[in-house]
Amino acid sequence: MSLLGLEDRQWIFLATVVLAATSVLATYATLRLRRKASRPYTLGLVSFGWILQTLGLYARGLQYGGCPLSNRFELVQFMVWSAIALYIFVGPAFRVSLLGMFTSAFATIFSILSLSFKSWDTSAGAPIFGDSPWIEAHAALALFSYGSFGILALTSAMYLLQSRSLKQKKMGGLFPFLPSIIELTSINLRLLAIGFLILSSSLAIGAVYWSGEISSVDVPKLSATIAVWLAYGFLILLRYRQIISYKQFSWACIAVFAAALISLEAVDSSSGDDVEATPYSPLSSQR
Amino acid sequence: MSFHHGELLLITVNHETVSMEERERYSLDDSQIQTLYRRLHESPDIEESFILNTCNRFELYTKTSDPRNGISIVFQTLQDFYQIEIKEIEKHAATRYGQEAIKHLIEVSAGLRSQITGEAEIFGQVKEAYAMCQDLGYAGKLINRMMQKGFQAVKLIRSATPIGEGQINISNVAVDLSMKIFGALHKTSVLIIGTGDIGEKTAKALRSRGANDFGIASHSSERAEIATHQWGGTPRNLENLKSYLNQYDIVISSTETERPLLDAQKLSEIVEARKNRPLFLIDLGMPRNFDPSCEEMEDVYLYNLDDLAEIAENNLKERRAAIKRSEKIADQKSASIWRMLESRGLVNFQ
Repeated sequence: MSLLGLEDRQWIFLATVVLAATSVLATYATLRLRRKASRPYTLGLVSFGWILQTLGLYARGLQYGGCPLSNRFELVQFMVWSAIALYIFVGPAFRVSLLGMFTSAFATIFSILSLSFKSWDTSAGAPIFGDSPWIEAHAALALFSYGSFGILALTSAMYLLQSRSLKQKKMGGLFPFLPSIIELTSINLRLLAIGFLILSSSLAIGAVYWSGEISSVDVPKLSATIAVWLAYGFLILLRYRQIISYKQFSWACIAVFAAALISLEAVDSSSGDDVEATPYSPLSSQR
Repeated sequence: MSFHHGELLLITVNHETVSMEERERYSLDDSQIQTLYRRLHESPDIEESFILNTCNRFELYTKTSDPRNGISIVFQTLQDFYQIEIKEIEKHAATRYGQEAIKHLIEVSAGLRSQITGEAEIFGQVKEAYAMCQDLGYAGKLINRMMQKGFQAVKLIRSATPIGEGQINISNVAVDLSMKIFGALHKTSVLIIGTGDIGEKTAKALRSRGANDFGIASHSSERAEIATHQWGGTPRNLENLKSYLNQYDIVISSTETERPLLDAQKLSEIVEARKNRPLFLIDLGMPRNFDPSCEEMEDVYLYNLDDLAEIAENNLKERRAAIKRSEKIADQKSASIWRMLESRGLVNFQ
């Protein structure tokens, strides 16, 4: 659907260009000029990209009368949108150097992927969530939690990079610009808590809906979502009981996020060929 | 000798032009600086002047209304003041005119001409000297504009190039690494093993960056007590190291020991008790105080003297590599400052 003279995909394409430019500029400044890109500039550029993406998703949402979450393209875009929103609105409180660079690179990669495969973008063309705002909230929250877990995977990668540099005494590359490992561990724990809380809220909403209409639940989707929830819950438990080290914890955060992304793929695939008739919802096949 | 742009003259005696023994002859205290200013301005041809006097340099910038004779007047004044023959002064000093003098000021202030490349202290010294010059009333339109615009150029150089980045002495490298592990140091506790000079310097550097919980361990309780009185902290007996080691996040050791104080085996219990909180071991001892096997433990970061020296050396190399870029900025900025001075009729009036 068109908005202000541009199609939804065109808005998203523009957003991707801005995010890619931010990522390239920040990386160039850091690695080539050995200067940390100024946080306000990075934040400003990422915010601009995010606004363009919001316009694209809004235009797409207009045709459904709700959140655009009906196919892989939209799922990935919404997850990227959530991750950037978290960086813009919560990120400044974390004061993590280079988070903007990492987030823009993350957003660029996933956005380019989703734009590259036309088959990912099979529009439902009809309202996805029927009359229930709750199931829409459930789906949106679930995807938003994936955005948090995406940022968590990034900060975990930053921890591993920093820890490795310190262990191997290699002070080049990103080392001078990355935060301390104590700060990164604290941020990782907070991001995990935020993501887990949001995913739990999403599941709680879904469960209320599910208990009223048990036949509407698609078992593979339910299993995949609960598996992701359990995996992150288990990570919290392992770290809380100090059973795993921060290094293992960071690797686990990256691995679970990769698994969560694969589970999204499985969830979407389970909608099968009748995507137009049964658009995606992480918990149920509500339409 | 060329007098082109001679209305702005710089005479500099510094570590690049003469040895320390010769530089000492030009060293001044505040009252002597005031006297020199007064003597210079006894001549009606000297309109403005600025003196920079540090342990490594004596520099005199003057604006003269008589570019042809200005330099003779300045050298004559210096001869009378220092009681050093003009010929000798000419041998010790380098002279610069016009834009070259401004470029030199920017380079000096940015630390490009310092013995420790990129050090920031010199910028503060230049600012202090300028404040004194202003207070005494010897800075006029030219000196004021040159200094203010020059300071902007210095800030640009220091922010746009890595000239001042990376620590280049071992104590500060250790502090930087501590901050890369723990972030703010006010919540970290530091154990210093041995009461040697390098340990003390590192402790001071850590304290200056916020660390305030110190323990000092020595083979002799007496020495630990004495050091504690001098540096602050809690005295510890080295014999009981294992009993209190897990309370500390950063351990700096520079004691004489035949066998390593710690190895992976001894450290394993301590690391377990720390529940994944990192431990930073800084081994400044020779022979080494910590067995290299400590490094194999997760959450333990071990750096010895060679590691720290190598980082300092690499940082210095990076600073030196930035000199060319910084000089280019100094060149461009001095040219634009000179054009600005010309456009305001402050120079080129012959």
